[in-house]
Amino acid sequence: MNIVVVGGGVFGCLVSYVLARRGCQVTLLDKDYPGSATSASAGGLWAVGESIGLGCGVIFHGKEGKANIDAGPQPLPREFMEFLMESNRYFPALTQEFERHSGIHIEAEKGTGLLYVIYNDKEQQYASSLLDWLSNSDVDVEEWSSQQVCQREPLMTAEQQGGVYFPGDNQVNPMLLANAARQSATALGAVFKNNTAVTGIRMNNGSVTGVDTTHGHFECDVLVNAAGSWSGQLAKLAGLDLPIFPVRGQILCTEAMRKQTLNFNLSTSDCYILQKAHGEILIGSTTEFCGYDVEVPVENLVGLANGARRALPMLSQSIVKRSWSGLRPGTPDEFPILGPVTEIPNYFNATGGFRTGIVGAPLSAEIVAAHILGLEQPFDPEHFLASRFTKGDIHLPQ
Amino acid sequence: MSKPELLIVGGGPAGMSAAIEAASHGVRCCIVDEGRELGGQIYRDAHAIEREASPDLINPRGDELRKQLAALTNLIEVRSDSMIWGISDGNKVAVGKEASGTEFITPAAMIMATGAYEYIPPFPGWTLPGVMTPGSAQILAKNLNVMPGNRIVVAGTGPLLYVVASQLVQKGINVVAVLEATQRRDWLKVPFAGWQAWELLKEGFGYLRVLRRAGVPVYYGRIVTHAEGDAELSHIYHAPVDKNWFPDRDKEECLEVDTLCIGYGLQSRNYLAQLAGCKIEFDELGGGWVLQRDKRLRTSQPNIYAAGDGAGVAGSKIAELEGRLAGLDVAASLGHIDAEKLQQKNKPLQRELERFSSLKNTFARLTRIRPGLTELVDTDTIVCRCEEVRWKEAKEAIEHGGHDFRTLKVMTRLGMGMCQARFCWPPMARIVAQYKGCDISEVGPVRPRPPIRPVRLDVIAEAQSNQTQETE
Ligand SMILES: Cc1cc2nc3c(=O)[nH]c(=O)nc-3n(C[C@H](O)[C@H](O)[C@H](O)COP(=O)(O)OP(=O)(O)OC[C@H]3O[C@@H](n4cnc5c(N)ncnc54)[C@H](O)[C@@H]3O)c2cc1C
Ligand SMILES: Cc1cc2nc3c(=O)[nH]c(=O)nc-3n(C[C@H](O)[C@H](O)[C@H](O)COP(=O)(O)OP(=O)(O)OC[C@H]3O[C@@H](n4cnc5c(N)ncnc54)[C@H](O)[C@@H]3O)c2cc1C
Repeated sequence: MNIVVVGGGVFGCLVSYVLARRGCQVTLLDKDYPGSATSASAGGLWAVGESIGLGCGVIFHGKEGKANIDAGPQPLPREFMEFLMESNRYFPALTQEFERHSGIHIEAEKGTGLLYVIYNDKEQQYASSLLDWLSNSDVDVEEWSSQQVCQREPLMTAEQQGGVYFPGDNQVNPMLLANAARQSATALGAVFKNNTAVTGIRMNNGSVTGVDTTHGHFECDVLVNAAGSWSGQLAKLAGLDLPIFPVRGQILCTEAMRKQTLNFNLSTSDCYILQKAHGEILIGSTTEFCGYDVEVPVENLVGLANGARRALPMLSQSIVKRSWSGLRPGTPDEFPILGPVTEIPNYFNATGGFRTGIVGAPLSAEIVAAHILGLEQPFDPEHFLASRFTKGDIHLPQ
Repeated sequence: MSKPELLIVGGGPAGMSAAIEAASHGVRCCIVDEGRELGGQIYRDAHAIEREASPDLINPRGDELRKQLAALTNLIEVRSDSMIWGISDGNKVAVGKEASGTEFITPAAMIMATGAYEYIPPFPGWTLPGVMTPGSAQILAKNLNVMPGNRIVVAGTGPLLYVVASQLVQKGINVVAVLEATQRRDWLKVPFAGWQAWELLKEGFGYLRVLRRAGVPVYYGRIVTHAEGDAELSHIYHAPVDKNWFPDRDKEECLEVDTLCIGYGLQSRNYLAQLAGCKIEFDELGGGWVLQRDKRLRTSQPNIYAAGDGAGVAGSKIAELEGRLAGLDVAASLGHIDAEKLQQKNKPLQRELERFSSLKNTFARLTRIRPGLTELVDTDTIVCRCEEVRWKEAKEAIEHGGHDFRTLKVMTRLGMGMCQARFCWPPMARIVAQYKGCDISEVGPVRPRPPIRPVRLDVIAEAQSNQTQETE
């Protein structure tokens, strides 16, 4: 079977890898749009934290912009957390597979964990209700006193009143993850074409027969749409409506600092802060609805910088090296869009990773591959079908 | 002082002249420079330490400009020790200063006078201690009275080599040789091409005379092919080159040295203008990616001008003239002078600019980067110093689909270090283009992001906008 995958972000690369591993003939095409999400991402594997709203600063689920602590916790449906936790379990094995096929170590760091830092009574209440919500699940979670936070993360501000710690929520290097998946796929026979934008989809009798690109025509038996924030445009070329919208996130990056300056991934009501394997500390992230603009407005960096020095006063003197922004492929209900559509039999979606596309990518890729090859599903795939959005009740944030 | 009408980035000859011209017509200016004092690269001699270091080497022109500027203090606000680290929406400018934070300024017009920096191509041994740029040697010897070494070779291409070599000689340092990549017969054209710019020719001959008197040989048509040393530089190897700078390795010679000053001309600093949305284009003779400008020195962004080396490398004389032209045009566009006065003032400045253009173009042709230089790298040569990326790693990434800055960066960490790819990418772009056999424009420039230079986090965090001033 000859499969064309459009989009070389983490979704497209992992889908290509899973299919190549199963013996399919895969061609992966990418245009390298600036602002693609994977290379902009922080690489947090915060399966639990993100599901209960501790991601980009405290989450806004369902609302625009700011964290709404007064409204109480707004976790996503439980299946979402189960999905992310299951996906997270793939990383140890993937680390080894990728090392073997490509020689690339994806820096999936164990033992960093996610620490939600509490500054005041309101946040304390918020944390308590989260803990209640989690009490009837098998999630690993610890409550830390203010002293414990100080002992375990010595550079943390004295302003904090304690924290909630999720030992299973670690991190990875997202760019290495995608590169390793792509190079492993090519080692297994997949073909990768860069600088190649899909400009048209050819159809015959209601099925896809191939794609036109800026570098020629590619025929295929199956088409996978992994075009990230642009997957809506790609779907349009096949006459489909896909409710994907770009959600901009900005990140601030310091110079490389001594290893283990930070022991944990930190989440506060202002921002998240994590140290990567090369020593840089990332401070993220904004959540903005502004189309495909990937500029970095300087005033937005001010809030991130303040959030960082509030949590870690010593960061005041650190040197900021760079900032960037990327476009998360957003969906109206925060769930990814995976698998077939009713209209076209040989077209499949692999998109909508939104703010958890890195942690969610391994299982998403398995689900898509199982759809294409008619294999047993590793997870209930119903939640992720595009058909859940009936035309008309798709509300895109303004 | 109330909100400036004109914000000038950079206090070198271009920026100072722009401020003087604009303010002389009543424009309220703010001039920002990251240095302690105004002066820019060439007149970096205002501070006491620098004045005492080399009293004989001070160029009086710097003091003249600073004096003219000081006479207009009621209209010119000088912000030194301040770095503009970002711009958004085309004109919201973040001016950062250590200890006081960032102020956002929204001027009516802006002149980018950000100057140039040295082009340093990688070659085997270039990261050894003891290898430096001519500009660094100049700062050490001339401005700080620190001797960069005892046996120095000055190599590369361009007028800066002779300036620096002669200054080192005047500081009593043993310059073993000057190695100029371009052939002597090409340099012999300079006096004919540049006779109108007689004062610059005179200055140039002056440097050569200093070298001749001191017995420093100048070898033309030779490049340094590699450098060697255990912990630090001990030997360099140089060879004659053809017109494309491909060396004849059979004729390689060795010199024992402790310091190599090597630079292949200058390139514009234009990250900030790019952040402001100004368009760039590749211009081999302008020193690489340069800002698009019209005759009036306006960039592609409304009300943003560019002058001096930051717009296209052309030297301090042209920088001054362009600064004045831009300052004048701003005065007219903001309604301080009428069209007639603009015409009348503009004409003589344009004529002066003409007088220097032939020499400028000749220099640009002589010193343009040739492909032979690009092929000096071998597989183990470091091509990104900050992240220690070697050519073989970059080559492997190219084989796996890396094809421009963004993709190679993501695959190898090339350009992710503190220099923000300012130094590594311009030569790497040529290497990649040559390796792939494509045009350099396909390999592309770096896409700059704030902060354009590393800045302390609290400078960003401590931000205020000048709202109060706007309401004045
Ligand atoms: C600032 C930021 C921080 C984040 N942090 C995290 C985090 O900590 N943890 C986490 O799990 N997730 C995080 N995310 C989310 C995650 O990065 C994304 O959900 C995920 O990377 C999406 O991957 P993708 O492959 O779908 O999209 P992308 O990485 O955007 O890839 C899509 C690709 O499709 C290509 N393409 C598009 N159209 C075409 C076409 N017509 N022809 C050819 N190619 C095309 C593009 O060039 C692009 O390379 C973050 C996102 C951002 C922006
Ligand atoms: C290393 C070096 C040494 C040189 N030595 C000589 C010499 O000896 N003799 C000679 O004739 N020519 C020399 N030149 C060339 C000469 O300096 C230039 O031609 C001339 O200075 C150009 O003037 P300018 O005003 O365009 O730029 P510059 O003089 O370079 O001035 C630009 C100024 O802008 C400032 N600036 C840039 N960006 C920002 C920002 N974001 N925020 C705040 N400030 C900023 C810089 O710090 C600098 O002070 C040298 C050039 C270099 C690079």
